[in-house]
Amino acid sequence: MPKTKTEAETETETPKMKPRPIVRLGIFLISHSLLVSVVCCTAGVLALLLLPLLAKNTYISENALMPGSASSMISNRDISEANRLANDLSDLNLEPQDTAAMESRRILTKYMSDLGAEVSYHKFHPKPNQFHPLHFFSGPDSTSTVENFSCSAYVVNTVGIIRAPRGDGKEAIVLVTPYKFGKSGLAETLSLSIAYTVFSLLSRVTWLAKDIVWFVADSQYGEYAPVEAWLRDYHTPVFTGLGTLNADTCVKIDDLYVLERKPIAQSKISDGFRRAGTMAAALILKVADRNELLEDTLTIYAEASNGQMPNLDLINAVNYLAVHRQGLRVKVEKFFTLLDSRWLEILGEIFELLGKVARSLNPGWKFGISAADYIEGSATLASSLYYQALGIPTGPHGAFRDFQVDAITLEISPKVSSHNKARHNEFLLRGGRLVEGVIRSINNLLEKFHQSFFLYLLTSPSKFVSVGVYMIAFALLVAPLPLVAASLYAEAYQLDLGVKNTKSTPTATASDALGITFRSWKWLYAAKEVFLIHVWGAAVLLLPYFICQVPNCSPTSSTVIWIFLSMLSLLIFYFIVGSPYTHVSISQPEKKGEWAILKSVTISAVFIGLLLMSVVNFATAEIGALLLVPMCLMAQPLKLDIKAGKLRSFLRAICNLVLAFVAFPPAAYFVVKTIFEGFDSINVGEFWNWMESLWAWNSATYIYMGMVHLPCWVLCLHVLLHSC
Amino acid sequence: MAMMVLLLLNNAIAYGSHSSSADTTMHTNNWAVLVCTSRFWFNYRHMANTLSLYRTVKRLGIPDERIILMLADDMACNARNKYPAQVFNNENHRLNLYGDNVEVDYRGYEVTVENFLRVLTGRHATAVPRSKRLLSDEGSHILLYMTGHGGDEFLKFQDSEELQSHDLADAVKQMKEKRRFKELLIMVDTCQAATLFNQLQSPGVLAIGSSMKGENSYSHHLDSDVGVSVVDRFTFYTLAFFERLNMYDNASLSSLFTSYDPNALMSTAYYRTDIYQRRLEEVPVTNFFGSVMETIHTDSAYKAIPRKISNRAGISMAVEKSVDHDDRRTSIDSNFQDQISHTKTKDQICPFTRTMNSFLDKVERIEHPDSLVNCGLIAMLPLLIISAWLSS
Repeated sequence: MPKTKTEAETETETPKMKPRPIVRLGIFLISHSLLVSVVCCTAGVLALLLLPLLAKNTYISENALMPGSASSMISNRDISEANRLANDLSDLNLEPQDTAAMESRRILTKYMSDLGAEVSYHKFHPKPNQFHPLHFFSGPDSTSTVENFSCSAYVVNTVGIIRAPRGDGKEAIVLVTPYKFGKSGLAETLSLSIAYTVFSLLSRVTWLAKDIVWFVADSQYGEYAPVEAWLRDYHTPVFTGLGTLNADTCVKIDDLYVLERKPIAQSKISDGFRRAGTMAAALILKVADRNELLEDTLTIYAEASNGQMPNLDLINAVNYLAVHRQGLRVKVEKFFTLLDSRWLEILGEIFELLGKVARSLNPGWKFGISAADYIEGSATLASSLYYQALGIPTGPHGAFRDFQVDAITLEISPKVSSHNKARHNEFLLRGGRLVEGVIRSINNLLEKFHQSFFLYLLTSPSKFVSVGVYMIAFALLVAPLPLVAASLYAEAYQLDLGVKNTKSTPTATASDALGITFRSWKWLYAAKEVFLIHVWGAAVLLLPYFICQVPNCSPTSSTVIWIFLSMLSLLIFYFIVGSPYTHVSISQPEKKGEWAILKSVTISAVFIGLLLMSVVNFATAEIGALLLVPMCLMAQPLKLDIKAGKLRSFLRAICNLVLAFVAFPPAAYFVVKTIFEGFDSINVGEFWNWMESLWAWNSATYIYMGMVHLPCWVLCLHVLLHSC
Repeated sequence: MAMMVLLLLNNAIAYGSHSSSADTTMHTNNWAVLVCTSRFWFNYRHMANTLSLYRTVKRLGIPDERIILMLADDMACNARNKYPAQVFNNENHRLNLYGDNVEVDYRGYEVTVENFLRVLTGRHATAVPRSKRLLSDEGSHILLYMTGHGGDEFLKFQDSEELQSHDLADAVKQMKEKRRFKELLIMVDTCQAATLFNQLQSPGVLAIGSSMKGENSYSHHLDSDVGVSVVDRFTFYTLAFFERLNMYDNASLSSLFTSYDPNALMSTAYYRTDIYQRRLEEVPVTNFFGSVMETIHTDSAYKAIPRKISNRAGISMAVEKSVDHDDRRTSIDSNFQDQISHTKTKDQICPFTRTMNSFLDKVERIEHPDSLVNCGLIAMLPLLIISAWLSS
């Protein structure tokens, strides 16, 4: 007790307590915010460019997977059966489409049930893309009521299920092949034969622990829709019997079942919805139409909605089996235009040189990669980042991710197709063995995929950048935002941060004190404006709903209408609420601080917005930060710069204008497009189509555009055009 | 009354001598505790390891009732097994380890650290059947084999629990105090197996592990048909050693221990002998892996041999007969009574008279003299016939 007393006494003796180190550090950073922000932003961009260097090799993290430990069991019998199926199907191509579709479905059913699989049909009615603002967050809606449909618009998927002979029936592996019944191409038939080869094998094996579901999606209305519809029905049990409901309305479909009933054992075929257990993983198998020059190639598509990725282990397993067992070349998507970009090459060479220097200093440091690898890695990384940022699934696997099922699309493209029988069979064998290996490996799983990463960027099929590494680039980019906001705020109020040694504070008069308290609430005006602009942004987001109602509207005119309406609504907002600059109630010298406070609040809002977005979709936040952060930090009234008349301020003004132009969403879109695809392919309507795809796929990027990006851009324009 | 006193005295001497030094106790029987601690399909090899060793010790003579087999998972019936109800430890699939004559005592979720320690220390609930108990005694040689996933001073059980080296050492200490073994061989095939022996102190314990601290133990080969690794290296080479032996071979423990080649094992087999009294060269492997015991030659069934040993013989008989410890005690006592009453007076008589006496004894004890006479008469008949035939 006495000790504390003495401590209290010493405290009273020293009038100013020394703040804690962390506070002092904060104050130090804030007072040097300019330097800090320059350093941080540069480091952030540099860290992003360094990511291909920091990529790690992938490894199988889940012990249970054991890819490639079992030898393949596909026999020639399976392949010849598959060829027979393919021949039967392609014979139908001469017939009219409707009968061909039905007949091919019948053939497929017959083949499936001959293998002892349970076959059922899944019918659904494709719904058009429509913008429903209220459905935005609800995800895949379960209440798809069929209102007015025609029988021809019905899509019938075929589902075959093999029950694991000794499994518990609680889990399933899904194999999806999109197939256009009636008008299929050669490639689609080929993918069907690969799937059949595997299915035929799996109907015989004794080692299945999970049921196998082969879903032949009727892809005449796109590949995504049937998969999504089936998954929705799979996960929402209906107890009234869908089949009977639809059967009496559609005679044609009914016919199909009558056809079915006649020939084969009936117990295995049903028109009711058949289910297996929860899905452990799904593979979408496609054969590409194009041919590769050198060797059989496998392309992996993994991005699902909002930048969600399947577990890295799934990609690893597929990659391992394809490369080390089947000798396929594995690719992931990349931006080919980046491959021959000059600046990237120079950068790659610099990094290579640095790596060499580092290695000569210490042989243990091995971070250098060759320039070619670097370019390859960055092109893949950029595409990975872009497709994640878009938030649109790159294939039917996206539908699975919405139900927390890990899925990827495997697109196999054969080497230049000679109509050589042996070559054809070898291709079937390779594809079949790959799928068999992946399925056997997933079959070994005991739990859901959980061991490896979910948050990662790919720089090649066997290299990845994990969340812990790529977060650094983003963190560095956004770190200056709160510092600059705080320093602007402090500057505007002439606050003493304890660094500058001012002795005037204790001698403040009473009137000054009143003024200070009055002024200290002034930021609320700026906050109000920022808030209103965000409300306006939300309104802009909803505009397409009304524009969609306009009949016969071309994308170009839609874009123009949208922009026009947005500007109009902004003006109306100003009329209703009044310009933020009307309520300047305080004395004239404060005017200088006005825009600073507005900028400070804007920056805080952007900071919060970017952080929130980085949780939802990291890639969007990263790209957004690249555009927004420099603009926010640079923004300063043009008038001031012009008044100053120095070269430096002139340059700053030009920088500001360029950044403001680039950050405008349509402008950004077209600039990027010109860079990648050349100038001639520019069309204003494309922007509308692009945005349409964003909302049609319920991408969070769309909301980010309206709620963070656009308001920030408008507010920065405000600051630029501020009349001070 | 005097006999009672003698009996008590006798017991007291016997037990006193046991507690004073264990070496003087004779090796009377063999037990084996074989534990596979890991679950899941990809740990197939651990079950195969354990079952292979089970087969080996059974082949070398330890009967099923003296083997406690603990298997944490059932690979044979796993849906992923291409060969239902069969387990192989080699890709040639020549030997199915999971035949009809496998007695698994603890299976699945019964294999816990608690149950394992209960088996070792013998502290069971009363309802636990005899087949699940380790009913060893102070003359027992116990082989404790464990395989699974381990680390520095621990062994994982069921992917959820751990057995630490302290737990093991404590259990062994308790066993020693409860005179549950004479000698104990602990054989462990896990990563960093040697660390599991760090805390052992009890005398008479010999320990061998597949790898040193910081080393991994590796699987031997992959069966691409079944799709998993089927046996671990250490166990594979142990089995290879025993496949060359039969029950009557006299290979010593040191020959087993030196048979491990670090290059083939890809780890260094470690054995701890500092608390084991005998020299390894003199100990045949069948002392632990088989059930071959030193035979004591006696002239007759109930010759007065030194008391201690006779007492022990009684125990070894009792193990098969008795139901519980208490029962065993009574049976020992009755044995003594028997022996004493029969041998007391006849110690100093010459062999001939002794046999004569015993014959007379037997004659005395025959209950129906009439039937004996009848039998004798019937036995005369063939004699008569033969003599008549010879004379004619």
